[in-house]
Amino acid sequence: MPETVYIGPYRPQLVEPERFELLVEGNRIIDAKLELGYMHRGIEKLFTTRTYMQNLALAERICGICSGIHTLCYAQTVERLMGIDVPERAKYLRCIYMELERLHSHYLWFGILAHSLHEHEAFLKIMGERERVQDLLEYLTGNRMNYLINTIGGVRRDIRPEKAEKIRRILKDLKPLSDYIMSLLDDNGAFTKKTKGVGVLPRDRALDVGAVGPTLRGSGIASDIRKEDPYAAYDKLDFEVIVERDGDVRAKALVRARETYESMKIIEQALDNLPPGDIAVKPSEPRVGEEVGRTEAPRGELVYYIRSNGTNIPERVKVRTPSYANNFAILEMLRGERLENARTVIESIDPCFACTDRVTIVDAKTGRRRIITLK
Amino acid sequence: MGKISVYRFLSAGCNGCDVEILECLVPRYKLADLDVEVVERPEEANVLILTGGVNIKGKEELLKIYEAINPPRIVIAVGNCALTKEIFDKGYPMVGPPDQLIPVNYYVPGCPPRPQAIVKAVADILGVKIEETEDYWLAPEGFRGKHEFDSEKCMGCGACAQICTADAIDVIDGPDKRIIRVNYGHCSFCAFCQDECPTQALRLTREYHLLTSDRQTARVANEVNLVGCSVCGGVFFPQKQIDWALKRIVEEKVPAYKDFSSDILSAMMICTKCRREIGSIKRAKKLLANLSERARKL
Ligand code: SF4
Ligand code: SF4
Repeated sequence: MPETVYIGPYRPQLVEPERFELLVEGNRIIDAKLELGYMHRGIEKLFTTRTYMQNLALAERICGICSGIHTLCYAQTVERLMGIDVPERAKYLRCIYMELERLHSHYLWFGILAHSLHEHEAFLKIMGERERVQDLLEYLTGNRMNYLINTIGGVRRDIRPEKAEKIRRILKDLKPLSDYIMSLLDDNGAFTKKTKGVGVLPRDRALDVGAVGPTLRGSGIASDIRKEDPYAAYDKLDFEVIVERDGDVRAKALVRARETYESMKIIEQALDNLPPGDIAVKPSEPRVGEEVGRTEAPRGELVYYIRSNGTNIPERVKVRTPSYANNFAILEMLRGERLENARTVIESIDPCFACTDRVTIVDAKTGRRRIITLK
Repeated sequence: MGKISVYRFLSAGCNGCDVEILECLVPRYKLADLDVEVVERPEEANVLILTGGVNIKGKEELLKIYEAINPPRIVIAVGNCALTKEIFDKGYPMVGPPDQLIPVNYYVPGCPPRPQAIVKAVADILGVKIEETEDYWLAPEGFRGKHEFDSEKCMGCGACAQICTADAIDVIDGPDKRIIRVNYGHCSFCAFCQDECPTQALRLTREYHLLTSDRQTARVANEVNLVGCSVCGGVFFPQKQIDWALKRIVEEKVPAYKDFSSDILSAMMICTKCRREIGSIKRAKKLLANLSERARKL
């Protein structure tokens, strides 16, 4: 007889508290539903109560992990409304900062994955080494997260030669971390054993549910906004869109692991070719009208829609985050999966700090509760 | 209190603080040395760490979890959302900050606080010292930490309050003084105030260890004198700002206006209400005519 299993919002604890309702028969998940709202802060409404400049800080707090790409996507959309051309140097700097963000975000994702797979040593190693990126971002921008480096018209801090040297040094130090992660994903690697064949999202289903980013690329589709609709200086930088075919959690992990090398490649090229000049121009008045902007966040396509009535306060801001799109992919991946893999599947898309590994099962018919342990 | 077992609760934040808390588990931050563990169930915990400003959906969960923590409970609010709801203060689903719902013992300001700040806060609460020999205990040059006023330079114009992204700066006018107050427990540490200040009087420092048991103390303030209107005597403007504006006009913008310094100054000393009176308008018109004639001659 099917039973209902609840995961989250706080037991186990997902980083963004969400509640999953799973219908389970035996050990198989036959259906999954998702309830959101524990993180709701009314941000889209708040956007319409502040100036375009002030909204930068709000945009980056939609998600502290990919905060930079939110300000970039927002700023680029506003720049279009204002008819501003950003200096070339700023475009390159934006690529550098955003790829550093992709690095820390991908490494964090691996840290969380290790945590959920009970690979404690790997967790400590990845999170420990990841601190190099955080130290670097703090040194470059003044904060480890929510660094507010992008502004309307450019960036707020320059990268002078001595800073460039430090970036190069740290990238060199980070290569072994990426190599280590790749080794965990080898045929015999610790991650591979626990993620191969788990949470498979076939190519056509990935398209149907509208998956984005590494989740989509792990199902064999080469989609990346940096290539499809290039922004900043991405059209002048050489990098590869990483694709894996298997659609399982391991494939998504491999996409991310291989992407860390591409990010390093992008940063090095941008440093080598950094054009001289200003890092920002002054914002101007926005025209009456609307604009849509998109960028490739670490988790996939991020979309901003902004409508202006010509004042210094936007009339409407709509944000479509990649994790929102990917939530539907989680449900798809959960259906047919074994119950004990549920957490890995959920975490393969969104980080989750899983502070408890227990869920409550409520018998759908009798309402009787029993506790089980998720591995 | 023996072993510290921490349970973490988040509602309506950005995750930034939660990542930093997780990062505290890394050996270099020495949290394990303090005999602190992070547990998976509230029933196993005696310390509750809160992040986020709590929304209507999180409230019920928070109350339940608080009850489940083992007494004597220590509750630590980490990050400005958990202090004051920060930038989400006016968000319609917000019902926090958490200390409006449950008792909170300590506050760790920041957005997010560095892991160093969180670990040092925990050490302080436990009354132990940690070795801080490594570089990373110091915040780097250019770090955006607690604010500092240069009271010589601050003229009380309030430009910082205007640009502030998180409504963190209050301008409070008394009978003869104006207070500019930065509530850094409500601040996003964007540093726009620092960029905007016309006299470089407000600066974000490298100070990041800001633990407090009373969030009302998470403030930095500066006081300036206000002057009265030369016509009605009503208090209206910071003296220093008038001096600054006059200096800018006659020294930087149009040196040729210098001869009219005292006329310009007396025009500036009239409050907005009195400026609308016939006599003042006449005087102002005459002054403007003189100034434009001077400009023409140049
Ligand atoms: S205090 Fe800042 S970093 Fe922490 S949850 Fe709130 S917005 Fe995010
Ligand atoms: S740094 Fe300054 S402008 Fe930014 S939120 Fe804090 S007080 Fe406001």
